[in-house]
Amino acid sequence: MDLVHEFTVPADVATTFATFDDVESVVDCFPGAQVTSVDGDTFAGSVKIKLGPIALTFSGVGEFTEKELAADGSSGRMVLSAKGKDKRGNGTAGAQAVVVLTPGDGAAGGPSTDVEVRTDLQIGGKVASLGRGLVQDVSDKMLGRFTDCLEKKLAA
Amino acid sequence: MTATEEAPATAEAAGGEEIGRDRRRKEDRRLITGRTRWTDNLAPPGTLHLAMVRSPYAHANIAGIDTRAASRAPNVVTVLTGTDLADTQGVLANAWPITPDQVAPEHKPVAVDRVAFAGEIVAVVVARSAAAAADAAELVDVDYAELPAALELKDAAAATPENGGALAHPDLGTNNSARWIFDSAEAGTGGDVEDAIATARTDGIVIEREYRQQRLIPAFMEPRSVVVDPTGEQITVWSATQIPHITRFLLAATTGVPESKIRVIAPDVGGGFGGKLQTTPEEWAAFAIARRLGKPVKYTETRSESLLAAHHGRDQWQKLTLAARADGTVTGLKVELLADLGAYVALVGGGVPVLGAFMFNAIYKFPAYRFDCRTVLTNKTWTDAYRGAGRPEATFAIERLMDELAAELGRDPLEVRRQNWITHDEFPFTTVAGLTYDSGDYESATTQAVETFGYEDLRAEQARRREERDPVQLGIGISTFTEMCGLAPSRVLGSLDYGAGGWEHAQIRMLPTGKVEVTTGASAHGQGHETAFSQIVADRLGVPFEDVEVLHGDTQVAPRGLDTYGSRSLTVGGEALALAADKVVAKAKPWAAHLLEADAGDVEFARGKFTVTGTGEGKTIQEIALAAFAAHDYPEGIEPSIDAEVTFDPVNFSFPHGTHLCAVEVDTETGAVSLRKYVCVDDVGTVINPLIVAGQVHGGLVQGIAQALWEEAVYDDAGTLLSGTLADYLVPSAADLISFDTAHRSTPATSNSLGAKGVGEAGTIASTPAVVNAVVDALRPYGVHDVQMPCTPARVWQAIAEGNRP
Repeated sequence: MDLVHEFTVPADVATTFATFDDVESVVDCFPGAQVTSVDGDTFAGSVKIKLGPIALTFSGVGEFTEKELAADGSSGRMVLSAKGKDKRGNGTAGAQAVVVLTPGDGAAGGPSTDVEVRTDLQIGGKVASLGRGLVQDVSDKMLGRFTDCLEKKLAA
Repeated sequence: MTATEEAPATAEAAGGEEIGRDRRRKEDRRLITGRTRWTDNLAPPGTLHLAMVRSPYAHANIAGIDTRAASRAPNVVTVLTGTDLADTQGVLANAWPITPDQVAPEHKPVAVDRVAFAGEIVAVVVARSAAAAADAAELVDVDYAELPAALELKDAAAATPENGGALAHPDLGTNNSARWIFDSAEAGTGGDVEDAIATARTDGIVIEREYRQQRLIPAFMEPRSVVVDPTGEQITVWSATQIPHITRFLLAATTGVPESKIRVIAPDVGGGFGGKLQTTPEEWAAFAIARRLGKPVKYTETRSESLLAAHHGRDQWQKLTLAARADGTVTGLKVELLADLGAYVALVGGGVPVLGAFMFNAIYKFPAYRFDCRTVLTNKTWTDAYRGAGRPEATFAIERLMDELAAELGRDPLEVRRQNWITHDEFPFTTVAGLTYDSGDYESATTQAVETFGYEDLRAEQARRREERDPVQLGIGISTFTEMCGLAPSRVLGSLDYGAGGWEHAQIRMLPTGKVEVTTGASAHGQGHETAFSQIVADRLGVPFEDVEVLHGDTQVAPRGLDTYGSRSLTVGGEALALAADKVVAKAKPWAAHLLEADAGDVEFARGKFTVTGTGEGKTIQEIALAAFAAHDYPEGIEPSIDAEVTFDPVNFSFPHGTHLCAVEVDTETGAVSLRKYVCVDDVGTVINPLIVAGQVHGGLVQGIAQALWEEAVYDDAGTLLSGTLADYLVPSAADLISFDTAHRSTPATSNSLGAKGVGEAGTIASTPAVVNAVVDALRPYGVHDVQMPCTPARVWQAIAEGNRP
């Protein structure tokens, strides 16, 4: 399943890139997420998600397979792949996310960055047959909270 | 559907005519209220409950299973893996190896080191309540190492270790399980199909098409359920199954427990459609665990487990080449088939496409035929018989092709069928597939259907709508069909390498009060056996319908049997009962002669009474039953019993047939299809109970129409079943359908004395092509030649968009 999310944060591309690169800092903004260890470009952690009637705690590992920041700050790109499974056996998930950062139009005054996240999400198990219709809705909501948090963090 | 009032009639009051009479079903009060012995309603004292831990992956090695947290959960007794059950769990059998070199993976009920489909059992939680077991199952932590999965049928068929394609079972080195070929030239039943095609290419018509039979889910109303009680003298197994006798035999054969120590009971069973014609991992696991713990255990699946892990049906690619002369006379048919078996070769799963081999020629008498089928293993739920088993797939193909041929010729599809079918005066007729059809009358069924349907008027309306470029187009679909029912003559099954026979057993016990106790090996799962069999016995013995008690579905009560599938209950099981009744009458005759002090030659039997010719004196068969029980006074050489049993093996299949006509309206702007009219005239031979036949036809039609329009088991790229709920797998409800106009003609079968042909699968077989033919017919002016099933609005709209609109 392909999910596309776009949002704008009030910071320049380089700052935004650095924030994303700091997994432990970013994860604070992700509802229900925890990072248990970071080792270079790989990290391990867990995320709690409530998908309709099913509560899931995915734990797994992730890795940045690509990271590029243009020297002039005109663009940034990160590719993240992660894989996890629900502790209670209700589902499995694999995701490949491509994050593209481009300078925003600065309409609000000051620098801004447009962020586009394209995620190829593979879910399996009970959650895939029962909660598939909810995935888009739930991910939209979670991302809404994520960007709110990120905005505050970057504005601070 | 009309029902006659149930009157407390004696056979006498009914004119001695139970056969052919609308009788409300004896079993319905308990089945409809649910206050009966559904397996899940049963619980021997101290029953423990099982929950299955199932793989979420289509294909993975099991690196480890941590059961500690689950074992410590409240009310959990133990958690067992495939390794724990080791060799005591037995294996699941494949009873129909269609070729000597068939490739088949070993199938353990609980996977040991690798899972081959999403839904396969990897561990079983045993707890004091079902809820505790379900909760603890979520605590079992399985470490999977994912493997590449073979999912798409054509890719799986082409995969080899060399080309790097995914193999469903890497150790087998191939996904191709078996190849089975029938060729009329080799079999001596007809000519060479390649010659026919070559001739047609230069001087005739060749129609080449590829059709997909989508994967379906039987979706029976009662989920699968099993209770195993090992605490008595025997191990008693209650299971919501179609096949208690076969289950007992295979439990014994694969676990080493003697048959005499196993009793299998199929209590009331809420539907099967082939989906319970299976020996299941759940039954085998429950049996192994009950033995290991020495306690009764129960497992009832959830609806989502049922959709995921009970077997699926259909799932074939068909490549078809039909040859015809320029005048529309069919000269040959070549069928190349790929059939998806899923991850394992199910009980008769490998043989289902082979059953279809005999039906691709349908009611037509063309001279050359070749059927070449490959069965393929994939990492999906296993497939097996589903209502009609092989015959719907075949009928769909030929009936679609006949419409395509008619379109190519620019002729009416009914006319093209008439030109090619076996005419009434040609029966018995041996077909190019080697079957001998004993009786039939395609003309008369078709004539009646056409009249009832108002065929000409609807064609006129269709022309008008086409003319006016009405956005809602009318389509008319035709399906003429026959099927092979009454599975099966044991010799035929033997020649096809099937692992058992096709006979059926019946016993009639004449009780001293005059009541009649009947046992049959045909075990019902909702078809109304108790009613229909009572009618047969009441007529043959001349006793009241109410006096007959039919017992079935228990290997202890009805010890011999081959169970219910393939529309065989009436034609084989019912005939066994009729013959047993005749035997009772024959045994009672010397008793009557003795009691009436007459010569046996002067005693006649009619309507339940033995009379001495020319006198009014007589004894009823029920009076003789009492005399034989008391046995106070009987001549030497006579046995003090008039009970009888018969094992009947048919000499031939029976061949019900019919003509189905369907009108649909297709909204060309939205792709929505709605049913406008459905008429069918079926010839199922002698009808024992019109009410039951109507019910079977209605249910069958709904199932077949659902394949055409709604139902499909869909997997994603990772092998997850996306149709895992009834909201996703679109089982239709009454609100989705229209009233059907059903009628009957009757040319009696000659393979049984009842003249019955079987009806359970007819509606399903005939309706799918009728509906799809109608949809395609509506869209021909839009350049549409096919719509892939199910014909959803999206697919129909897409077909219109891709067609060449004039």
